[in-house]
Amino acid sequence: MDNQGHAMDFAWDDAQLAFRESLTGFLAAHLPQDWEAFSQAGPASAALTEYARGFCGALAGEGLLFPHWPTEAGGKGLGPWEQQSLAEVMWAAGEPRGGQYMNVNWIGPTLLRYGSTAQQARYLPPITEGKALWCQGFSEPGSGSDLASLRTSAVREGDTYRVNGQKIWTSYAGLADTCFLLTRTSEDKKRGITILLVPMDTPGITVRQIPSLIGAGDIHEVFFDDVIVPAGQRLGEEGQAWEIVGFSLTNERLGIPRFHLARAALDRGVAMLQARDAFAREAVRIEAARCAGLCEAARNASYAIIQTRVEGGKVGSEASSARYATVMAERAVCEFVAEFLPEALAGASPYLMMHHQRGIVAGIAAGAAEIQLNIIASDVLGLPREPR
Amino acid sequence: MDLALTDDQREILAAIDALTRPYAAANLHGAGFALTSGALDAELAEGGFLDVMAMGLGEVTAALVVERLARLPYAVEAQAAALVRPALDAAMPCGVCLVEEGMLHRPVRYLTAGVTVIVVGDVVRSFAAGPEHIRDAGDEVLFAYPMAYLTGLPGAMQTHAIGADEVRRLWRVGLAAESAGLLAGALASTVAHVSERKQFSRPLATFQALRHRLAEAQVLTNGCYWLALKAAASGDAGDAALAALYAQDAARRAVYDLHQFLGAMGMTLEHPLHLWTYRLKALSSELGGRGENALAAADAIWG
Repeated sequence: MDNQGHAMDFAWDDAQLAFRESLTGFLAAHLPQDWEAFSQAGPASAALTEYARGFCGALAGEGLLFPHWPTEAGGKGLGPWEQQSLAEVMWAAGEPRGGQYMNVNWIGPTLLRYGSTAQQARYLPPITEGKALWCQGFSEPGSGSDLASLRTSAVREGDTYRVNGQKIWTSYAGLADTCFLLTRTSEDKKRGITILLVPMDTPGITVRQIPSLIGAGDIHEVFFDDVIVPAGQRLGEEGQAWEIVGFSLTNERLGIPRFHLARAALDRGVAMLQARDAFAREAVRIEAARCAGLCEAARNASYAIIQTRVEGGKVGSEASSARYATVMAERAVCEFVAEFLPEALAGASPYLMMHHQRGIVAGIAAGAAEIQLNIIASDVLGLPREPR
Repeated sequence: MDLALTDDQREILAAIDALTRPYAAANLHGAGFALTSGALDAELAEGGFLDVMAMGLGEVTAALVVERLARLPYAVEAQAAALVRPALDAAMPCGVCLVEEGMLHRPVRYLTAGVTVIVVGDVVRSFAAGPEHIRDAGDEVLFAYPMAYLTGLPGAMQTHAIGADEVRRLWRVGLAAESAGLLAGALASTVAHVSERKQFSRPLATFQALRHRLAEAQVLTNGCYWLALKAAASGDAGDAALAALYAQDAARRAVYDLHQFLGAMGMTLEHPLHLWTYRLKALSSELGGRGENALAAADAIWG
């Protein structure tokens, strides 16, 4: 009856499975024996950052660092399902790419689209060789979810910009070599924002680490005091930042596939409970199943968005629904572990500790959950907007 | 991995939309707690929409039909007819209802003289319901399904070869698919109300306290939809139990909010919201409710 020869199928096909196995095989061959204890330190820790340089170099050697990039940019032109598999397998393994996942997900593609020839020549090779580490100079003390209110100023002085201001909650800033910096060049709220690509060793930049719940070296304040940046380091035109960031985020609307690690952590937690005969009680089993339902709902809601990308459609506000489903899954698994496996958050399981520390920011990092709910309310449900 | 609908599925859903357009708005005059239409039932049966599995179009297609029909304010028995009946006996007529053995204290959806009652216990049996098997529940049924009680099981029933676990799996898929459609219908009805109704000179929908909870209801509805389709596609018992659990959990979370946002209007029979929410409440106790479905999922997933 089916005239297209396909049917809805939620399983990976043979080629997709082979790709996933090439990734897990790579991990098995390269990750050190003590990887789980090691990765718990956090993706921005000095140890993991250093490790990631070697790891990403090896990934690049196998053609697995940026296989989803177009062939003319040195990638393999693989599709959205393979990009998803890469993200899932790496994240569930504790993200051995460290902060470099941002390079291949959106910084590289953004440079390919908007970078000058000189910028591409300077910044793309370290990315494709697995050596670069970027940080994202977006949030400020007064500008979080309301990003367009940012105030870090860049004043044009001949062939340079003079930058003054402060960024905060900046991941990777302590060890990053370059900052993808949003600055204000005019008072126009959105069209007054300009991107500068700023080497972190530029005089006038001060980085201060903020102790955090989520791993060593993850959160920072970054101060810019009369930092001089050549105009050639501007990405795109003055005032083009909002458009460029919009492009960057089209690749990132779904965010990290956190549901995959959450489900892996849940399975690990259940295995720990089974090992000490503590998984027979109905109260525990019911809660574990609830968590699995939330993880799988987030997974399939996300896969529905990826299907849209496969078909060449524009990924819109529905991605926010999948993202919020992911937040619900992360919270549930974090709570399950805290309730039934408290020892895991006190040294007994580096893997579950790693999950918890990364999971608790699911509704905060890369866009607050409340913003996702606002988008769903206005653009998916079509509710009239709030007065401002 | 392929989550696209087939051309056949798109055409079937478009045909359902065209056929049910006259039924999209409820005629609430004298409807009471439940709304049904013999004419709609007959049109759907005649169109073969409940026979898609028997036609070889697969469980996903049947689940899509169940989900789409549940968005209507009218209660239509599609869950058992489209998903369970074909697995028992393709020749069985459409009027069927599902009963868990040992649960005869519960009201039964769509129980009326002439239907085939499918009894799921250790084995699967069925019988044709006569007036002697049925006790009218009177006018006091709050649920938005036509419901009645079974007086008992007859001594002689037909035993089916299919395993009881397989029937429970299909039942769970149907429950999840129907819940997804009911949630979508209830949400759409609430969205329409809060977008129009003004208080403090503003539509209620502009207050963030409501917006975020409605957005969460959308997330739950969407999750329910995809878990139902995943379970239909995979044929896996764990996926089906997970989908049923999620559906019952989602209903529990969302239904309170939706009624809350309609205020007193949602407490009247002049507004159709109860036609979806009180079907969801009826489904919330099936197959043992959240706890039993969670345990079934845990058994299937982790042993």
